[in-house]
Amino acid sequence: MAQAFVLDLGRCIGCEACALACKTGNELPTGVSYIELIEQVRGSFPDLEGGFDNHRCLHCQDAACVAVCPTGALYKEDGLTRLNTPACSGCEYCVTSCPYDVPRMVDGASTKCDGCKATTDAGGGPWCVSTCPSKALEYGERSEMLRTARTRAEALRAHYPNAQVYGETQAGGLGVILVLPDDPEVLGLPRDPDPPTVANVWQGVVQPVSIGLIGATAVAAGVAGVIARRNHMAELRDIEEAEQLVGDGDSSEEA
Amino acid sequence: MATTVEHEHQVLRYRTKQRIVHALLATSFVVLLLTGLVLLWDPLGWLAAGGWSRLIHRIGAIGFLAVPAAYLILDRKGARELVYDSFRYDRDDIEWFKTMYRYFLGHAVEMPPQGRLNAGQKLHHAAVMLVSATVVVSGLAMWFFKPQLGASGLAAAAVIHDLSMLALTLFLIGHLYFTYVYKAISGMTTGWVEEADARLEHSKWMDELDAQAEAVTVGSGASSHDEVSQEDQSQEDQSQEG
Ligand code: HEM
Ligand code: SF4
Ligand code: SF4
Repeated sequence: MAQAFVLDLGRCIGCEACALACKTGNELPTGVSYIELIEQVRGSFPDLEGGFDNHRCLHCQDAACVAVCPTGALYKEDGLTRLNTPACSGCEYCVTSCPYDVPRMVDGASTKCDGCKATTDAGGGPWCVSTCPSKALEYGERSEMLRTARTRAEALRAHYPNAQVYGETQAGGLGVILVLPDDPEVLGLPRDPDPPTVANVWQGVVQPVSIGLIGATAVAAGVAGVIARRNHMAELRDIEEAEQLVGDGDSSEEA
Repeated sequence: MATTVEHEHQVLRYRTKQRIVHALLATSFVVLLLTGLVLLWDPLGWLAAGGWSRLIHRIGAIGFLAVPAAYLILDRKGARELVYDSFRYDRDDIEWFKTMYRYFLGHAVEMPPQGRLNAGQKLHHAAVMLVSATVVVSGLAMWFFKPQLGASGLAAAAVIHDLSMLALTLFLIGHLYFTYVYKAISGMTTGWVEEADARLEHSKWMDELDAQAEAVTVGSGASSHDEVSQEDQSQEDQSQEG
């Protein structure tokens, strides 16, 4: 069953409790952080408003990072994007391909939120969700989270007329459904991230075609090579025999 | 005085330094191919864990990049001849391409007369040089400029890299195919090939060598297809050029 988070940016007060709980709970080494709180000034002068971008993996259903990952270190499970760090090759394909600029390289391996796999597998809730003092976060079954997000956006619209749900459709639907107080652009989010067209050609066409052609050609060359070599050996024998005939002719003449 | 006993009825095709350059190219290419396929083909992906394959890919890349430099340093004349020959095709070469399927099937008899490189070898070597350029440029772009490339740029560079890899690997399969069919491996292991084979497949080259040998014999009485004299000759040519 696809799981999801709700992240209500209308309620996020930038206290960093989630980031801290995540670091502690997941025993992240110093310097590693799955959640980054970035203070934002939104709107245009004079209607400026302060807020926080709660920057983290949004767990795209059609995740570009998973598509390009050559090792399977990144993979989808329960609607979330997991990361099996020991399998990572450090190629940085995910870093370059993520439309939300999420994965970071630490000690030669990719790091990003894995949806608290260890904790949730053990029956608990994600660390950030259980910690948030402002109730900006929820976690549960995705369809239910979508309903919750819509209700929250509706309520928010009383104060913020542009309040909306973000993540229903973006990148195939996000596993972190955002409640935005304003248009995505105002909050620094692409309204719709570019579809990874070139990456799909690379992963879906070029790679399999390359492997297929190399394999098929190698097999065909192996078979044809045996036949052609036999042909060549036969023609060399013919030449030799012809020369011997000439040679015999010569020697009989000499004799 | 005839050819040395060791190489009786043989002719020198590749000088030692040329074979060293070829070995560097072959080794680095196979290393790059294997470590590259680890990233390209999902079932092998687990081998890339920890980044070892990527480190070895970079070592291979340095070897691959060193090939042209090594050829120019070790045997400038050979390098120059290779480039010159690979991009020049005469009427016999065109005729050769028209009946190439026969050569492909193992029939060298009745093919149009060929020089030191046959038309197919010329095209192979030329294509390897050109496609190596695209594999190198796209590889260096992914090595040093991933952040600047962005998502589409990285994917585009990888597409160019992979298609170049594909072309080079198909060339390699063809290269090994003809080497096997025409039992030509000794040209790169010992440097020497059978004179009879050379006369059959590269008659214009042998005519040239015969003419040279005649000139030398008339001049100094030295031997014909002898490694020492040929290597000496090339060095003399080189010093004359330099
Ligand atoms: C100077 C030469 C080369 C350089 C600098 C180079 C560099 C690279 C780099 C940087 C990558 C991206 C992965 C990573 O960051 O580790 C890569 C991938 C790859 N390379 Fe190369 N490379 C070179 C030559 C070659 C050659 C000659 C071949 C094939 C025979 C090859 C086959 C591959 C393949 C198959 C991939 C995987 C691409 C994918 O994920 O689809 N490379 N190379
Ligand atoms: S936000 Fe980035 S890292 Fe997270 S699932 Fe999407 S593409 Fe992957
Ligand atoms: S850096 Fe690691 S996780 Fe990211 S794409 Fe490469 S192998 Fe996958």
